[in-house]
Amino acid sequence: MIQALVDGILLGGVYGVISTGLSLVFGVLGVVNFAHAEFLMLGMYVAWFAWRMLGLDPLLGSVLSFIIVFAVGYGVQRLLIQRVLKAPPAAQVFLTVGLMIVIENAALIAFGSDFRSVSVPYQVEGYRLAGIFISAPYLYAFIAAVVLSLALWLFLERSWSGRAIRAVAQDPMASTLVGVDTKRTYGFAFGLGVGLTAFGGAVILPYITVSPTVGGQFVVLMFTVVVLGGLGSVTGALVGGLVVGIVQSMSALFFPIQLQNLFLFVIFIAVLALRPQGLIKGA
Amino acid sequence: MTPTNPKVVLEAADICVTFGGLKAVDGVSFSLHQGEIVGLIGPNGAGKTTLFNALVGLQKLSGGAVRLDGETVSGLKPHRIATRGMTKTFQNAALFPDMSVLENVTTAALLRHDLKGARAKATEVLARLDLSPIADADVADLTFPQKAMVEMARALATEPRVVLLDEVMAALTPSEMDEVMDVIRALKGEGLTFLVVEHHMRAIMALCDRLIAVNFGRLIAAGTPAEVASHPTVIEAYLGHGAAGQEGSHA
Amino acid sequence: MRFALKPGHVVLLLFFIAAALLPLFVDPRGHLLRVAAMALLFAAMAQSWNIVGGLANQISLGHAAFFGLGAYTSTLLFLRLGISPWIGMLAGAMVAGIAAALLSVPTFRLKGHYFALATLAFAEVLRVIANSWADLSGGPVGLTVPFLGTQPLSFAFRAVSSYYWIILALLVIVCVVFYVLAHGAMGYRLRAVRENEAAAEVAGVNTFRVKLVASVISAALTAMCGTVFAQFTFFFDPDSIFSLSGISVRMAMIAIVGGLGTLGGPIIGALFLIPLEEVANAYLSSRAAGLSQLVFGLILIAAILIQPRGIMAFFPKSRVKTPPKAQPATEGARG
Ligand SMILES: Nc1ncnc2c1ncn2[C@@H]1O[C@H](COP(=O)(O)OP(=O)(O)OP(=O)(O)O)[C@@H](O)[C@H]1O
Ligand SMILES: [Mg+2]
Repeated sequence: MIQALVDGILLGGVYGVISTGLSLVFGVLGVVNFAHAEFLMLGMYVAWFAWRMLGLDPLLGSVLSFIIVFAVGYGVQRLLIQRVLKAPPAAQVFLTVGLMIVIENAALIAFGSDFRSVSVPYQVEGYRLAGIFISAPYLYAFIAAVVLSLALWLFLERSWSGRAIRAVAQDPMASTLVGVDTKRTYGFAFGLGVGLTAFGGAVILPYITVSPTVGGQFVVLMFTVVVLGGLGSVTGALVGGLVVGIVQSMSALFFPIQLQNLFLFVIFIAVLALRPQGLIKGA
Repeated sequence: MTPTNPKVVLEAADICVTFGGLKAVDGVSFSLHQGEIVGLIGPNGAGKTTLFNALVGLQKLSGGAVRLDGETVSGLKPHRIATRGMTKTFQNAALFPDMSVLENVTTAALLRHDLKGARAKATEVLARLDLSPIADADVADLTFPQKAMVEMARALATEPRVVLLDEVMAALTPSEMDEVMDVIRALKGEGLTFLVVEHHMRAIMALCDRLIAVNFGRLIAAGTPAEVASHPTVIEAYLGHGAAGQEGSHA
Repeated sequence: MRFALKPGHVVLLLFFIAAALLPLFVDPRGHLLRVAAMALLFAAMAQSWNIVGGLANQISLGHAAFFGLGAYTSTLLFLRLGISPWIGMLAGAMVAGIAAALLSVPTFRLKGHYFALATLAFAEVLRVIANSWADLSGGPVGLTVPFLGTQPLSFAFRAVSSYYWIILALLVIVCVVFYVLAHGAMGYRLRAVRENEAAAEVAGVNTFRVKLVASVISAALTAMCGTVFAQFTFFFDPDSIFSLSGISVRMAMIAIVGGLGTLGGPIIGALFLIPLEEVANAYLSSRAAGLSQLVFGLILIAAILIQPRGIMAFFPKSRVKTPPKAQPATEGARG
């Protein structure tokens, strides 16, 4: 039981980071990015190639994932998303759905359908603490996620760009008046959002194999996390991630593996129906 | 001037609406008698539109009750309240943008008719409001006062007994205003009851049998138009908000 | 209902006649006819989606749920109880209609992205159930419809042309339903709901009921397409029949590329996209798996950026209704 709780927290921290970006993008741009999980997949591939070609541990390669996917995201936002910001929701939904299909299949063409994994020395190691087993790759991924969350928080609170993002999220018109370049800020926020997810994808590479369809495993999970936390809320997503991680590993005690996801979906629909603004209110 | 008609059609009892911490409507009570035209006045932001929304069921009450013919309707959905005979117009003209004028009004007439009957009813209402010439126009092409008139036509097409008019005469010329007032009086003669929000004091004074005044969500005065207009609290409410008591000033 | 024969309707009528005659001129067992039948089936699916997505402006990303319910209901009834798929088709429509009604309760207040998310999750729920409840559904390996030769009463035919005509008939039915919904009293109410829900309510429209009726009809028709699909392809599995990109998105995409909310849009969209996909698969798939899907995604993006009103926008006369503009802010109480 406590074991499951610990596992859940380790898992949930990472869920938080990969979902935060989705929430950030919605909060700032007002667009639900259905392609978000595909950027996770891209981040995983970057880290895999960094490991394969440069011998870089995915925990370090994650920085590379962040940077490269950030750049891709910035471009995608400026070229595509920017054009539908004022369009009806249908156009926004289907633009990102189109993006999802394109990225997934481009990856299939570029990388083939093989499952790829890394091997790192700590892959099967772990720590024992008062009868609880803590798996090393899960722990390291969790620590990386926590570090990144703190960095994100500091960035949004303290840096000028971070404040610009928050200002634009609250009132684009007024931000323009005080000299914020909203278009660049939108691009920046989108890049940041998908970069965060790419980072999260990289740090879980030691325990999850990557393939072009890996995004599909995470789509509903991410949306559940984000909806729990309240679409647009960054701290909400972090807390939501923990909740989902714990729910998932707890339910593993009682249900077979596929039904765990079922559990998540039901929570997801219930939260959407009852409290679309989210259960956890935050910044 | 106060009519002695005993039949109360609409009763608002201690209505409260809060937005977060803001009490937009704070314990307002009043009754409308059948065939009355009552004016609801108050400075911008006083809570008039919010009160209207509460009456027709668009806005959840945080306290109080709305009764139509003695039966509680608060808590019902707006279309149920429309079926019972009360509807309102939207201050900022919430027409269906992709429909023609006739189609907008026909939609409302479908409440009590089949499609054929609804078209006939809509045509009749448009004629009554002198809107026949623009029946086939796209609402996107209308001027603001025209939109307000179509709002009124759509409300009347539900064949209501109580109509809440939210600034339908804003931006009308004085002669157009007189025509609209004639129509309202004629409908009153047929037994309809009106609650009218209007910032035009001339129209309010000429049209209404009684006035109620609100400020900061509270009822501050009620009585004959002359009484309310000269009520010190009412004058202060308006002057305090930048002398909005004069003709033609509105949001 | 007023009946006026517009040029667009004449074109549509001629199209149906031409489509009905097609099997007489091509190989009745050939590949071409299979592709044509698939295109018509997807047109019918997209038209069913169009009732919810186009007329009520509720963007569903979960119609695969109803499609799959139709396929599973009729096939399971046939395999387990020997009930004819014809009856199974009606049973599937009922099951899907009930599912849609149940789903309406928690989702009717949701709009735009939120509605899309909830419907997406619903289809995923069914996919997970179908995969894991193997005793009922046959599990991940899917179901095979046994073929025992041509048996019209059991919805089994040797000739592709038979399925083709059945699919065409289904398309005509779906189009008629769409037309009646769009132009009757219901059409007024649907457009009112789509354009301003608060104003619709105050004007006496029961917005919940309107959306409920639209989604139940849409789901039932989609389920009928699912049964026909199962009979036509003989085989399906949970991941393909409840697929987000293969079914849900494709239904919506065909309607959008053709012209959202229009009568002709789904037909034009399907006639454009399905053969295109077929060609892409034939010529490109040998080079790389995923290339045809990639092209699909690019077309979807291009359609939305270049002409969000779809191909139908190039035929201004035949437009049934202009597609929805940006949702007007529902009037809360702002004065
Ligand atoms: N949906 C809402 N959420 C929060 N506050 C609101 C909302 N609608 C109105 N308010 C606030 O409630 C108060 C009353 O507004 P309301 O629109 O009812 O005033 P009004 O008397 O109709 O004003 P006007 O004469 O300008 O039309 C205002 O302070 C307004 O800002
Ligand atoms: Mg107002």
